[in-house]
Amino acid sequence: MIKVEHLSKIYGSNAAIEDIHFSVRKGEIMGFLGPNGAGKTTTMRILAGYLPATEGTAKIAGYDVHRQSMEVRRRVGYLPENPPLYLDMTVEGFLDFVAQIKGVARNKRNSKVDSAIQRCQLSERRKEIIRKLSKGYRQRIGIAQAIVHEPPVIILDEPTVGLDPRQIIEVRNLIKSLAGEHTIILSTHILPEVSMTCDRVTIIDRGKVVATNTPSLLMEQLKGGSSYEVEVEGDIKSLIPCLQKISGVNTVEIDRTKSNLPVNRTLLQITCNTDTEAGKEIAAAIVNQGLGLLEMRRTGLSLEDVFLKLTTEESTLEE
Amino acid sequence: MFIFNTIAIFKKEVKSYFTSPLAYIIAAVFWLLSGVFFVELLLGQEGIIQQVSASEQLGITGAIDVAYIFLNSFFAVMGSLSLFILPILSMGLYSEERKRGTLELLATSPISNWVVALGKLLGVVAFFIVMILPWLFYEAIVFSAANPPISPGVPLLAHLGLILLAAAILSLGMFISSLTDSSIFAAIITFALVLLLWIVDLIAQNVGGILGDILKHISLLENYNNLVQGIFDTSNLVVFASYIFLGLFLTTQSVETIRFTSQ
Repeated sequence: MIKVEHLSKIYGSNAAIEDIHFSVRKGEIMGFLGPNGAGKTTTMRILAGYLPATEGTAKIAGYDVHRQSMEVRRRVGYLPENPPLYLDMTVEGFLDFVAQIKGVARNKRNSKVDSAIQRCQLSERRKEIIRKLSKGYRQRIGIAQAIVHEPPVIILDEPTVGLDPRQIIEVRNLIKSLAGEHTIILSTHILPEVSMTCDRVTIIDRGKVVATNTPSLLMEQLKGGSSYEVEVEGDIKSLIPCLQKISGVNTVEIDRTKSNLPVNRTLLQITCNTDTEAGKEIAAAIVNQGLGLLEMRRTGLSLEDVFLKLTTEESTLEE
Repeated sequence: MFIFNTIAIFKKEVKSYFTSPLAYIIAAVFWLLSGVFFVELLLGQEGIIQQVSASEQLGITGAIDVAYIFLNSFFAVMGSLSLFILPILSMGLYSEERKRGTLELLATSPISNWVVALGKLLGVVAFFIVMILPWLFYEAIVFSAANPPISPGVPLLAHLGLILLAAAILSLGMFISSLTDSSIFAAIITFALVLLLWIVDLIAQNVGGILGDILKHISLLENYNNLVQGIFDTSNLVVFASYIFLGLFLTTQSVETIRFTSQ
């Protein structure tokens, strides 16, 4: 449904995005994840037909965003970071206007406006002036204007930013309810958001795609196996080589981040291959060394860790 | 499709004036001032009726077309008054859209920049026409009493001239508004442009020769005065149409540039 290839946007000597590539299948929710300034907004603006790219192409529903801009715009609903609202209009007046300029035929306009209002739960406020409504409502109106012409593709730039927790849940549920019949790209810098709402994630940092996968596979891919957090009591000098000999164990590291441990206790981070279950051997080795095994916990890296890892890896590369 | 979209933008613009306190204030001030001038020019101390009766007392007789002279002086003053008001009408056309981020909505909708610009221009011109509508009542009352009767073509042409003058300035003002996201700044620059046009007109009237001729041809006020005097010449219309087109064209180019440069 959406295919982005070698997309670059260069301002002077700065590349806002460089060689971006990803694709989104029909009915999917794609999360576009990256820190502020990573190039998410630029990419989305290009897809929405607002910005021209310096290089590369993107196709939406088979139409080229540059050469067939009007066809693309007809098929895209776009919510920029700040919802584009005419504050002096009523909710339904605004949505009716958007439906008109998006090319909805006159006889279908009322029903489409009604259904957008219902989906975004704006029925009680439909006659009110937008200026008088809260941030949460405005965000929902923003989503309503993106879906009012029932486009096959919806692009949402930071749809939950600045909302309170209850509103965030409402907006996420709304977005999830739109998937299936619509293909959705949403950008965010909030990690739980992607694992909660998205089928697939593209991580972007400093204008480049760092990884693309489903949230769970992405974690697998990055952690490269399961890992254990072990707290032991006693002298660990001879323990570490012993642990490293166990088949399946990749790395053993002393974790010094916890400062409140008693002197003779150590926290170890042990990572293993995915296909082996080295937990038993690790525990046995510790006991055989005559050390006290105080705690042993299997830790899966959360997406948050993945993200931190990705960005830190990138930054060490740059430095 | 082109027409429907233009109408959609036009309607949105017109509706926005009904909810804007500023629009009501401008209209009220304009109505007040135009009403005062109308009465003054007609019945005041220096008014046309006083002047005519004074000259009759001095024994100067002859055919004076009072209605025609009055119309000329009224529209000359109204042309100048409009020049002050028009920058305020055009200042927010694009700058507000830029400030609110709604330009991004328009620019990602399947409508061309031309449609948006044309719809907006028609909207603001329509508002200006509404502002001069009340004059029809005054004129109907005054000219119905005129002897000899004034031919209806003359006031119609004067109105047309004023509307074209307004459309030309609004079109250029719209372009200026698209360059900034500050309405006040747009108004100031547009006002500076109006002053420039005024100076061009002054030079045109005071400089002879080829330069004077050229300036007379391109001066908006000169062309306006021709129409007000009841001289219908297609070249006047062409000049106005050119200014209007220039404003529209520059606006579309400016909006396209915003896309290329926005971060």
